[in-house]
Amino acid sequence: MARAGTNLRTSYLESNEVLRRPYQKVLIAIVLVGALALPAGSSAFFVHLMNLCFLASIGALGLMILTGFCGQISLGHAAFLAIGAFTTVILSVQLNAPFILVIPAAAVSGAVIGFFVGLPSLRFRGVYLAISTLAMHYAIIFVATSYQAKVGASASAGISIADPSIGAFRLRGEYAWYYFLLVFLTLVTLACVNLVRTRPGRAWMAIRDRDIAAEALGINLTRYKLLAFMLSSTLASVSGSLMAYYSNVVTVERYTLDLAVIYVAMIIVGGMGSILGGLLGAIFITLLPYGIDNLFEFLPRAWRFGSTVFGVQVGAVGVCIILFLLFEPKGIAEIWRRTETYFDRWPFRYRPLDTTRR
Amino acid sequence: MEFAATVVILTCTYALLAAGIVILYKAGRVVNFAHGELAIVGGYVFYSSGLMGGDMSPWLAILGAVVFSVIMGTFIFATMMRRVVGEPFYVAILITVGIAIVLKSGIIVIWRAEQVTIDIGVAPAIQLPRGATLSYMDVASVLLTIAFFAALYLFFTFTRLGVQFRGTAENPLLASQRGVNVNFVLSLAWVIAILAATLSGVLYGGRAFLSSESVTIGLAGLTAALVGGLDSLRGAVVGAFIVALAQYLTVRLIDPVLSEALPFLILLVVMSIRPWGLFGTVEELDRV
Amino acid sequence: MTETLLEVRQLEVVYNRVATAIQGVSLDVPEGSIVALVGTNGAGKTTTLRAISGFLPSEDAQITDGEIRLRGQRINGRMPHQLAKAGVILVPERDKVFATLSIQENLAFAAREGGAITVERIHGYFPRLRERSSQLAGFLSGGEKQMLAIGMALLCRPTLLLIDELSLGLAPIAIKELMDRLRQISKELGLTVLLVEQNVKAALSIADHGYVMESGRVVFYGKAEELMSHPDVREFYLGGAGQAENKSYRDIKQYRRKRRWWG
Repeated sequence: MARAGTNLRTSYLESNEVLRRPYQKVLIAIVLVGALALPAGSSAFFVHLMNLCFLASIGALGLMILTGFCGQISLGHAAFLAIGAFTTVILSVQLNAPFILVIPAAAVSGAVIGFFVGLPSLRFRGVYLAISTLAMHYAIIFVATSYQAKVGASASAGISIADPSIGAFRLRGEYAWYYFLLVFLTLVTLACVNLVRTRPGRAWMAIRDRDIAAEALGINLTRYKLLAFMLSSTLASVSGSLMAYYSNVVTVERYTLDLAVIYVAMIIVGGMGSILGGLLGAIFITLLPYGIDNLFEFLPRAWRFGSTVFGVQVGAVGVCIILFLLFEPKGIAEIWRRTETYFDRWPFRYRPLDTTRR
Repeated sequence: MEFAATVVILTCTYALLAAGIVILYKAGRVVNFAHGELAIVGGYVFYSSGLMGGDMSPWLAILGAVVFSVIMGTFIFATMMRRVVGEPFYVAILITVGIAIVLKSGIIVIWRAEQVTIDIGVAPAIQLPRGATLSYMDVASVLLTIAFFAALYLFFTFTRLGVQFRGTAENPLLASQRGVNVNFVLSLAWVIAILAATLSGVLYGGRAFLSSESVTIGLAGLTAALVGGLDSLRGAVVGAFIVALAQYLTVRLIDPVLSEALPFLILLVVMSIRPWGLFGTVEELDRV
Repeated sequence: MTETLLEVRQLEVVYNRVATAIQGVSLDVPEGSIVALVGTNGAGKTTTLRAISGFLPSEDAQITDGEIRLRGQRINGRMPHQLAKAGVILVPERDKVFATLSIQENLAFAAREGGAITVERIHGYFPRLRERSSQLAGFLSGGEKQMLAIGMALLCRPTLLLIDELSLGLAPIAIKELMDRLRQISKELGLTVLLVEQNVKAALSIADHGYVMESGRVVFYGKAEELMSHPDVREFYLGGAGQAENKSYRDIKQYRRKRRWWG
């Protein structure tokens, strides 16, 4: 029966399985081994880029669960990154708390604020929910700006954070961070995949597709919507905190509405409703500005105005959003799925029993 | 007096933005998140076209602005908004977000995000009691806004095209069956909305300045539209006044930084009490 | 012999790529006549009308087989506003008027310059519309909405008028009035009408010919008088059963009829 297709599952137990076919397990193994070996053959800059991708992925997974799986549109993601960053500031700079405590603290603060930001979702849907998350974003950023002003940091330099240490080991340098983040991201991804393939995931998807019907089926909307918001804000907060440690500086000017939109772009480009999509989208959007930089190398010197390059980098995200929404609404994950099924079915063109698209 | 003048002009700016958003919502159920960017780019186009012949010429500027609106409106509708008609609401909204980003990058690339103040070069200002001044530009702005709204009202109420417009907004399928070219009507909606936005951008550029950061007036306009009711032009004016007044008072009396967040706080309050906005149609829309 | 205005041959419509709604449907609508298309719920009558008037794509449905010809010209799959210009006008079952516009504005919406049919003439057919000219269409009674809908459709100068469920939700007196008025209009203007109805009696009372549809196929057709007196039609649609008690289900005519019609 395996030949009937990757997606034919005949029992609940089977539908929970993530990796069903041997080739998928082999693929994952290759990716992991490759990831472990990567720093050996790459420059410090490239490893740094990978670190940025990992950090972005943690936040993107949170937003993917909230918007991609649960269908709640949120434009407040940047504010949660800020919460993580500023929790780090308060705890590590003012109270000298160790790294081991700050990260969970950031998670908790993210969860708590996520609860409150999620409350409007019980009353509003759609555009109105998006607008209310926007309001929350401004409120949180206002508080953060006031705090930063009070602490006396200058706007451009921001507040500096020392390198974190776990016990005796000091976490500094791209390579150390790389392995740390790789492990961290793997754990986070595993957790998300597990959530999504079991009851919470199914509840979220039901809410996304038709929340009135979900409620009629007995799914507690309050619980799951708030859970989605809290999970999303927790991951974002942790990501923001890690980012603060990694870049050794925190400044509120970084957490703009544009940043929130960039995260939304990540999940659109990656493919809403797919954990793999969250990862792929985060990597794509993070690397995009650097790719554009490289592209400009090929153009004559005269074009390489600083502002032009910057402008194109900004605009590229918008173009990606539009192009993907128009032509590939299910994102890169869908391209991957199509490739997978093409090889899976080869030499046949159509899957038997293919009346509904999976 | 200064207070009254500033609030009135700010109201006009936001009212024009809100009117554009309301028109687009009524016509295609689209909430346009790119309206601020359209306004500012429109202002830049006005400025640049005016300068094309050397000195600032208002006629060239107006022509440039109108051509911009027509081309932009038709382009956005034909290439993007038309294709996503059947899809869930967030697709259209996210496309407008994408458009907003592209427009903003356009400001950076084309105009180097220079700060630009629009000055038609009409010199003497009117002196008002208690030391306030009103430039001719300000007076013209207010008159233009009033004229625009009056024109909209006359158009929608008394012309055949206006009636067809309202019908298409309500039931595009039926309108199509009764011989109306729905594509034309919808792209016309975009053109009118962008015209309103451009006018608003010019007003703002005259009073303050245009830059890549001024695009945030779009969010204030969106809030004004939501407070007034997304499908009510009357509400757009009232909402704009409320937001303008509140912002001015906040900047003067409380804290300038808060003024950016303030429109949203107003919106949260209004939405908790009356989700459809003050003048919006009370229907089972997909928001509560 | 009167020319055939509309020919439908072996029409097949599939919804969502999987559900066949109608199959092998063939109709002839002679010019200037009133043809009734009757049947119970779900028989496929509305789908047929939608296929003719070009409304299918909005429901994710497609014509997968068969042809529709207007005066010999193939009109499968054309867009609604093109068909409207060709004179095929549909009065849909729901949302048939613009509720937020007044009666006057609704009529003005459809009106064209010149031509025999003017707003005045519509007022002549339906005096109630003149009385309530400035009232919002959303607040009209069911019968008045129907009158307005027909008025709007007439102003588009149709050659073929398709009406879906004219009598739905109307009182018997309103139905009779409306049907008689429709017949009068059709005769005066030489207008061809294809009428889809669940109220078989009302439909057959003004029609020249009728088709009976069931489960997506046409199962019977003939002149209106023939249909009215056909025993099966009488029993299932006109309430003319009242026979002696049936002993078993095999005695029930529906069972026998289905066996006969389906072979």
